[in-house]
Amino acid sequence: MKFVKLIFVALGIILSGCTTTYSLVSPGAVAVDSLTVQIGSGWNLAPSTQTRSARSNAETWTKDGLLLDRLVIIPGVADGESLLVSRSESAALPVFRADMLPNEIEELVESSMLKFFGEGNSVVSSEGLRPYRFGDHVGFMFEVDAIVSDSPRYRGLVGAFIANNELYILYYLAAVPYYFDKHLVEAQRAIQSAVLNQ
Amino acid sequence: MNTGCHRVLIATFLCICSAVLYAAEPEPLGHLIEPGYTPEDAADEQGLWLEIKEYERSLNQSALLVRQAELRNYIEGIVCRVAADYCNDFRVYLVRNPGFNASMTATGMMQIWTGLIVRASSTDEIAAVFGHEIAHYTRLHSLQGFRRLKSQMASASVLDLGLTILTGVPVPLGQASALLNYLAFNRQQETEADLLGVQLVAEAAYDPHASYRVWNQLQQEENAAAVKREKAGVFSQTHPNSEARAEYLLQYVSQEFGPADVEQVADQALLNILNNHYLFLMEDQLDTNRFGRTREILVRHTKLGVKPGLVNYFFGETYRQRGEPGDRELAIAAYTKSTESDGSPPQTFKNLGYLHLKAGDVPLAQKYFREYLEAQPDASDRAMIEFYLEDQES
Repeated sequence: MKFVKLIFVALGIILSGCTTTYSLVSPGAVAVDSLTVQIGSGWNLAPSTQTRSARSNAETWTKDGLLLDRLVIIPGVADGESLLVSRSESAALPVFRADMLPNEIEELVESSMLKFFGEGNSVVSSEGLRPYRFGDHVGFMFEVDAIVSDSPRYRGLVGAFIANNELYILYYLAAVPYYFDKHLVEAQRAIQSAVLNQ
Repeated sequence: MNTGCHRVLIATFLCICSAVLYAAEPEPLGHLIEPGYTPEDAADEQGLWLEIKEYERSLNQSALLVRQAELRNYIEGIVCRVAADYCNDFRVYLVRNPGFNASMTATGMMQIWTGLIVRASSTDEIAAVFGHEIAHYTRLHSLQGFRRLKSQMASASVLDLGLTILTGVPVPLGQASALLNYLAFNRQQETEADLLGVQLVAEAAYDPHASYRVWNQLQQEENAAAVKREKAGVFSQTHPNSEARAEYLLQYVSQEFGPADVEQVADQALLNILNNHYLFLMEDQLDTNRFGRTREILVRHTKLGVKPGLVNYFFGETYRQRGEPGDRELAIAAYTKSTESDGSPPQTFKNLGYLHLKAGDVPLAQKYFREYLEAQPDASDRAMIEFYLEDQES
């Protein structure tokens, strides 16, 4: 009887689509939903059980573990949707609007990261907003800084563009000192290589 | 119904009765310790102090601590005035957090969130919150709470073991009852701290009527909120709710000190603090994406007399952030008002530029973008602004 129960539990996990282990993302062109990025070396794709606030079509990659560094790829955020998911009705997650300009996307990211780290437990700021072209699409990049209570301080690099009224966003966030610089060049190359699939 | 079930029901009834009995009358108010208090020989108290000191060491390293001397001096000055002879017992940490809170440990480590300053209408209100926290310290509330929880949990475990043997059903009724008792005790301590806090505030020549105004304003903010905070259940609340606090404090203060005889007036000290540190204080609040609450705070700041250039800039920010139909026009109006007033930050020009760009008024957008770059030549987003200037010109 116990054995049957165990099978049902295992089946439940498999069918629910929850992945519980890290898997390797090999170098080369990698498609994440409707985006393609080029990576020079392998990253580890975090399982969905480790990234509960991530959108279903987003991917989170890491080199040394999620506490130390992460490269997050969020494709196709439609008008009225948020960058994160939350079960709490009182979270007040900011949402993307298709008519947002770069300064507003910058604020959207700041506020979303604040919610990610915990409202009241963190202060997130940004700087260096500048234009950047992702394939055929004019987008922009900027840096973020996150001070988090009882946690390392993080720095980040964000790239984003809007295409077909949807937001495509990639960001690298890593602990300072050391880890941010350690993978910055590679993460920046990956972010800047992002293009929309034809 | 079988005998086991009967026994469980009787046990449940007894636990609930005991929970009610534990919520006894508050003790007479007064300080329980002398200034300069250090732990007695009791091992549990010394252990508690050691744990807190360890935490304080890590808090000291936090990048979230506000280190601006003007802000720290203002806050520490109020704490010392209210604490009087106990002043040297406290270490005050001002933490960047847009929420409303202050807390005190058994060791005199006091944490104050910047959201408290943002929400205050007067220094008296800030003093009222500090009075409450200082009362927790001088009444040894942390230690009492710690000891009560520890002893009740120990008895509860024995009770639960007995119940399990009697009924054959492992139900943690004793522990649930102990937890309820603890929460009731906690609420009782909060009320004590409220009342003793008022006395301390009055002795320090602050307005005791500020004590209930704080809670009234918090309630107003909650009413104005578009997204309400999740409320704790009736039995899991650690504090009395805002309305109840405002009500009993109004009664107590009116009885002890007479009716409020002066209009609530903003003091220059608080105004200076807000005017000089407004950008970072309100940007933290804005990042919470809570339109109703932020707007309520801004309305209060307008009444207080905070520089209109600053307040209107943030009115513009809140409308722009909400982005509902009509908000673009409201934001443009607020930013424009800001640029015509004292204290308008350079970002106002930038955001006016972006909004006019959205509205399709390119020449006006360019005019504001240029004004922004003139006002802030070293702007970190200069490349983005120049891109828009070139892009629109080409």
